[in-house]
Amino acid sequence: MKSGKIVTLAHGAGGKQTSELIDQVFKAHFSNPQFTADDAAVLEVNGKIAMSTDGFIVSPYEFNGGNIGKLSICGTVNDLACMGAKPLYMTCSFIIEEGFSMDKLEEIASYMEKTAKEAGVKIVAGDTKVAGRGQVDHLFITTTGIGKIVDGVSTSGAFAKPGDKIIVTGDIGRHGCTILLARENLGIEADIQSDCAPLWGTVEMMLETTKDIHVIRDATRGGVGTVLYEIAAESNVGVKLDSSAIPVDPAVSGVCGMLGLDPLYLANEGTLVVIAPAEQADTLVETLHKGKYSKNAAVIGEITESMPGKVVVTTEIGAETLLPQPGGELLPRIC
Amino acid sequence: MAEQKKSALEIIKSYDGPKLRIMEVCGTHTHEIFRLGIRKILPETIELISGPGCPVCVTPIGFIDEAVMLALDHQVTICTFGDLIRVPGTTMSLAGARAEGANIQIVYTPLDAVEYAVGHPEEQVVFLSVGFETTTPSSCLAVKKAKEENLQNFSILTANKTMPNAYQALKGSADAFLYPGHVNAITGEEECKKLAQDGVISGVIAGFTAKELLTALAVIIEKSKTKKSYFVNCYPRVVRPEGNPAAQKMIKEVMEPCDSEWRGLGVIPMSGLKLRQAYEAYDARLKFHLPKMQGKPNPACRCGDVLQGKCKPSDCKVFGRGCTPQHPIGACMVSNEGSCSAYYQYGME
Amino acid sequence: MCVGLAAKVVGVKDGMAVVDASGAKRKVSAELIEELEPGDYVMVHAGIAIAKITDDDTNETDDIMEML
Repeated sequence: MKSGKIVTLAHGAGGKQTSELIDQVFKAHFSNPQFTADDAAVLEVNGKIAMSTDGFIVSPYEFNGGNIGKLSICGTVNDLACMGAKPLYMTCSFIIEEGFSMDKLEEIASYMEKTAKEAGVKIVAGDTKVAGRGQVDHLFITTTGIGKIVDGVSTSGAFAKPGDKIIVTGDIGRHGCTILLARENLGIEADIQSDCAPLWGTVEMMLETTKDIHVIRDATRGGVGTVLYEIAAESNVGVKLDSSAIPVDPAVSGVCGMLGLDPLYLANEGTLVVIAPAEQADTLVETLHKGKYSKNAAVIGEITESMPGKVVVTTEIGAETLLPQPGGELLPRIC
Repeated sequence: MAEQKKSALEIIKSYDGPKLRIMEVCGTHTHEIFRLGIRKILPETIELISGPGCPVCVTPIGFIDEAVMLALDHQVTICTFGDLIRVPGTTMSLAGARAEGANIQIVYTPLDAVEYAVGHPEEQVVFLSVGFETTTPSSCLAVKKAKEENLQNFSILTANKTMPNAYQALKGSADAFLYPGHVNAITGEEECKKLAQDGVISGVIAGFTAKELLTALAVIIEKSKTKKSYFVNCYPRVVRPEGNPAAQKMIKEVMEPCDSEWRGLGVIPMSGLKLRQAYEAYDARLKFHLPKMQGKPNPACRCGDVLQGKCKPSDCKVFGRGCTPQHPIGACMVSNEGSCSAYYQYGME
Repeated sequence: MCVGLAAKVVGVKDGMAVVDASGAKRKVSAELIEELEPGDYVMVHAGIAIAKITDDDTNETDDIMEML
């Protein structure tokens, strides 16, 4: 049932209304034995831990394929997963604009519940603040998570080695494209859904196949192109891409064609760049094809000794050219 | 048996004739040529020169200054193609004006700017009308629509340009032109054909796919062997001999030729377009009584020489040092189609 | 200078056409093209159809190469 209620400054004042908000929205959705009513959650964790935090401001806060709530869980879960860490516990902090719809907040919380459940992570503590009108764009969420690193796994952007293959776990650019179409008034319609998804399951599948994986990165802001430049710099290696092997949804290509954009720079929220020894690559892709979020996984290139720090693309005419370094805001290009 | 025909790529790769200088007039060609890596497969004797066919690159600094003044001093909502946002003006770019509170809207077409004006009657809306013959009809259409609806809060700031006189100004820069296919889609073949017939310069109309670009280059190579001037339309699926008469008529009805300043090339007589008297109510310069703005370019910037093929981007002192795509000094570094940006991003030193 | 997009016309009404480029759809002006019908291909620039085209660059380039 829709309540029609809105969030008011009183909900953030720490009194009765604050308790109501927490009880009715957050406890109702995040309830688990570790969810604390005290000042801090008390947890027992053994072994090597990964920890990550991420702030989420996304306009619009709802989009085709998810909303800011789902995104806030996926973002942190995926950051942990990239380190080979099984996500265990999370905290989340909300800054909500006065006047925000309580029903929407509830919906966002329910997406978070569902996504956290799928990722196997427990929300153990949270915080809510209410800001005056105009001080926040609807709501901001910050999540922090810890995860237990699987024994024998060691990934880093600095571990790519010449000869390694580069895999993407899905077709690229869908989240960025979805947001661009929703945000800018460009009048373009396309049946594109954000790829926003929690990827611990995807990483777990890979690690069950082999632990011999050098790099896992989620290709969020800046897209696959940006991530590859980062890895090239951190590992001091070259990256060579085969332009024809990069999986892109045709509708994403269509939108990019209209606006003069390259999917390699569009954000993903459910697609990883994975770098592994050549002998593991085919098996990994085979495994990935069985996964829920990685049916379009593909090998898109390899790591080279030459051209350290650069990303080179083999184009459709067989020539090699540099991938332009990403930078600045993405602007639709017409003329 | 007839000898197996060579492919376009083979013709290009195996060229061993005298030095051949080809100017790709169109910025989208420049961009695609870099993106496809075509320069990397050319023999040393073929030089591609990036011409002035990027409206962002040839738009004078004063135009950006006018737009910034409209946005900040006149509190006007600026609607623009995304391309212009980061072009530096004398004191700031439109991105800079936006950071200071200006309302800058990115549109896909000037028709959307009209729609925006309809939806925001309390705002004055100005569309930044740049572009060549390809883009100009959309601006004309927008102005006509605004007039039909008697819109009081819409106008355009014109910097529209036409190619024919620029071809004349550039004829010495190359042995052949790769003509901008989408301009010819509007204007047709006649003008370019005549340049060849009169012995001014040879050229071919080219499309934009890999196949079309390679074919056009192969045609230039083969035709240049005959030592005669030539013209070939290598993009007939889009370019009709007569072009698009409806679009030509639309431009003629709404706009008239005027002298126009091209960044780097100076004023080229009758190479620009402005609104006709019947439409002057939609001329932002008149509507807001803008003073004549003479922008001050950075003296170290050699965009002008680059645009005329007189020097390579890497010959410019600020290229890659003070001037990068993140912090552009000249317009050629801003636009994705600018030759400096392309040289920088695709790593041509 | 002019990013063009080849797209298929999927609807025409009141001087406007809806074009489809592999799933990305947009309304564009069809005023400058005579007799446009669904199924036709057009070259689109800055929100207007500037030319009716054939969608395939292979025949065209083959013919030109044949002519050389």
